[in-house]
Amino acid sequence: MSTVGDSGAVTAGRLWSVVRGAAAVIALGLGVGTLAALAADAFVYGILWLNDWLWISPRSRMMAGDWAWLAAATVAVPAAGGLLVGLLTRYLVPDREPQGPADVIEAAQRGHGRVPPKGGLATAAAALVSLGSGASVGQYGPLVHLGATIGSLFGRFSRGAPETLSCIGIGCGVAAAIATAFNAPIAGILFAHEVVLRHYSLRAFAPITVASTMGYVIATVVLEREPLFRVEDAITVAAWEYLPFIGIGVGGALVAIAFMRSVIAAESAAARVPVPEVVKPAMAGAVLGMVALWLPDVLGIGKEVLRFSIIPGAFGSAELALLLVAKLAMTALCLGFGFVGGVFSPALVIGALFGALVASLLGPVLPEVGNLVAVFAICGMAAVTSSVIGAPISTILIVFELTRNYDLTTAVMISVVFANLVSYRLYGRSMFDKVLQARDVDLSLGRDQLVLDRMPIAPYVSEDYVVARRGERCEELRDRLLEADAGEAQLVAPNGDYLGTITLGRLLRKMERDGQRTVDRIAVYDRAALRENASIRKALTRAERNIGALVPVLAREGRRLVGVVDQSTLVRAYRETLHSIRSEEHAA
Amino acid sequence: MNRRCRAGRLLVMVLLCAPAAVAAPDSLTVATWGGAYEASQRKAYFAPFTAATGIDIETAGYRGGVEPLARNADRWDVVDMTMADHRRACAGGLLQPMPDGVLADAPDGTPPRQDFLPGSLTRCGVAHIVFSTVIAFDKRAFPGARPYRVGHLFEPDLYPGKRALQQRPDAILEWALRSYGVPVADLYGLLSTERGLRLAFRRLEQIREQIVWWRDPAEAVRLLVEQEVTMASGYNGRFFDAAVVRGQPLEIIWDGQVYELEAWGVPSGSDAAAAAWQFVRFATRTESLARQATWIAYGPARRSAARQVAEHAATGVAMQPHMPTTEAHLETAIRKDADWYARTRGRLDERFNAWLAAGTR
Repeated sequence: MSTVGDSGAVTAGRLWSVVRGAAAVIALGLGVGTLAALAADAFVYGILWLNDWLWISPRSRMMAGDWAWLAAATVAVPAAGGLLVGLLTRYLVPDREPQGPADVIEAAQRGHGRVPPKGGLATAAAALVSLGSGASVGQYGPLVHLGATIGSLFGRFSRGAPETLSCIGIGCGVAAAIATAFNAPIAGILFAHEVVLRHYSLRAFAPITVASTMGYVIATVVLEREPLFRVEDAITVAAWEYLPFIGIGVGGALVAIAFMRSVIAAESAAARVPVPEVVKPAMAGAVLGMVALWLPDVLGIGKEVLRFSIIPGAFGSAELALLLVAKLAMTALCLGFGFVGGVFSPALVIGALFGALVASLLGPVLPEVGNLVAVFAICGMAAVTSSVIGAPISTILIVFELTRNYDLTTAVMISVVFANLVSYRLYGRSMFDKVLQARDVDLSLGRDQLVLDRMPIAPYVSEDYVVARRGERCEELRDRLLEADAGEAQLVAPNGDYLGTITLGRLLRKMERDGQRTVDRIAVYDRAALRENASIRKALTRAERNIGALVPVLAREGRRLVGVVDQSTLVRAYRETLHSIRSEEHAA
Repeated sequence: MNRRCRAGRLLVMVLLCAPAAVAAPDSLTVATWGGAYEASQRKAYFAPFTAATGIDIETAGYRGGVEPLARNADRWDVVDMTMADHRRACAGGLLQPMPDGVLADAPDGTPPRQDFLPGSLTRCGVAHIVFSTVIAFDKRAFPGARPYRVGHLFEPDLYPGKRALQQRPDAILEWALRSYGVPVADLYGLLSTERGLRLAFRRLEQIREQIVWWRDPAEAVRLLVEQEVTMASGYNGRFFDAAVVRGQPLEIIWDGQVYELEAWGVPSGSDAAAAAWQFVRFATRTESLARQATWIAYGPARRSAARQVAEHAATGVAMQPHMPTTEAHLETAIRKDADWYARTRGRLDERFNAWLAAGTR
């Protein structure tokens, strides 16, 4: 093997480690990709099967058209499904809090990469029941979470750095789930990076690419699945037509904001309804079923509505407006009252209806628009969805991979960019970020802040400081400080309680000007004092306004002084954290 | 695993053959459709079956539906039904369940489940051929640009002339919706909504003035040949016969062909079930189906047989390009949703007739 004499051994060793690294990357990508793709496929087809079996899908409803009990079933199925979801949430979901993409993002951003499998499976089961019984919620959120759960497990049981590998595994699972669901491998890769990891490193990119491709191969070659939404028409766009797409972008952002606000408003409304949590989804299901008797399009994922929205003349303007409002309200109701599912698929439907509505309103003014309904609807779909999930690039890619149409993609790009500009300014990056913000996880501060938030100050606490006692004479303390080459002393009570900080400067000033004899009245209580379980992030913010160069650290409770943290140590900890993040993001 | 499988199959073979050897009936009554189709069956596997087993095949005329089976007066042993009727008869208990191992492997060993087209195997039997409803046009009517897509049926400005269509909703609703660019996989889902039906009938409305309705399949061919219409819907076998065997200037648009399966079943009343299943096995062998395809342009329901299709026995024309099951013809083919039609027939016909009546007022 060795061809270069002396350095042969080194080369062989390095070659071996390169091969091993590549093998690990491929194994992680292949393993997670395959499992996540199979799980995603089973999930999607499980929903379709349940919809056919439970008179939710239009085909099954049409075939049961002669059946006298169809109307009763339309109300009973979502209601019963809701009850089951309520029970699953109550007894199986940890903390009764179904998980979603927001939790996946948090796990990846905090860097621990843990997506608990129990919560993941229970959430997937509740989502399957919700979607299967026709609730107006999305399927991609649960899919992303399911993929992430599988990826996190892989990372956790691998040797080496389990935390980093878990995060990469999460990316792999998410990418494979998206690639499988949309038959869109490139969008899968970008979605994992743009929405979940939020950085690009070759170390993550390589296995994620393998996983995403695997998802695509399994969906198209092994299982021979059709993509969930396909546009066959060749679409061409004239130059002036880009103007309305800006309008659709801005309008779509407003629709997206209305949608996100409605979901959150419904959640707080549900919290005020004085009935047991278990029956709340059933109530929403019953209401949904009754609306569906009159507007069956609100049921389920809404694949048929999406299709109709791109057909010229399928809807009238009033019909579009009515359905837009109804779908938005029903989705908010279902999600707010405890059905488990995502926001992506309803956002697609709402956006498509919005785009088609704009086209049908412009129709009388600009007759050319009549043939462009498909473009308008798809732009609306992309504008609303990208604002809701905070993923402009992935959305553009999904459209491109589903339609393989360059003109359409450029039109979509314009809408998506303007939509995100507006919704970011008026609302925030995405629904997920808003959910996390409510939990005090602010991703807009950057990933370093989250990681610092997770790092305790304990290893940085020093017991090397000057202690001043009550009644101690000023000269004595001055001499001791000078002796120790320290700038400040901590005044401590006989029981060890922290009483205040005395800087050398203040000490000298008080001695000279005011003629103080003892240190008792010179100490100033440092309000920036930390608890010993505080995080580095907290320490850094406190250190901005503390007295002197040392931040006192107190016990978890009470006022006992356990040590100090030096500002320079904090700066070092900050630099080390940044360095480890950078090296992760630039690792190959 | 493999050995056990083979042993099981052997056992079935013995079971199938043993009664025939012990108490072989002199003849089997096969209910089928007559005409050129029945002739192709006789040449392809009725006669060879008799030669191999000594059991005569007598045929009985069958014109569709499940009612003849319900009456059970004719003591049929095997019946050749469209998939929709076959399924209905099976669900109604009018057909016997098919025992395991009846079907033969392909010559290369591919098991039946992978060799037959999707949807061919049912609890009560198996599909053997694919026949297709297509649009054909008169080449003389379009000397310039010729129609090549289903959507062109609804564009009388581009492709002028009358259209001959079968007077029932089947296939034309699919074509109408397909003309909006709806993917084949979504057709029946969309046709299941009020909005989808409305769109389909809106398309039909656009050519209402141009439609000439037919009921007898022969009429479709005649109207085209005699230049009364420029486009017509009809069965691909008859168009093939007119164009290739009789040399008429017709051409089939394969885009959006609506194909259906034709299936064998054994009626509950048959008292020669073992011999009947032995016949089904013989008739659905790869070589039987490939041989039938040299006499008529209906596609074998087995992939292995479709690959073997050769020349037309009488004219020497290569049959492959005329088969509904040829790969290129399957790209945009619509598999008729037999289940859907079986359950919605009454309401569909009612709506279709209402639309017809609205035009004649």
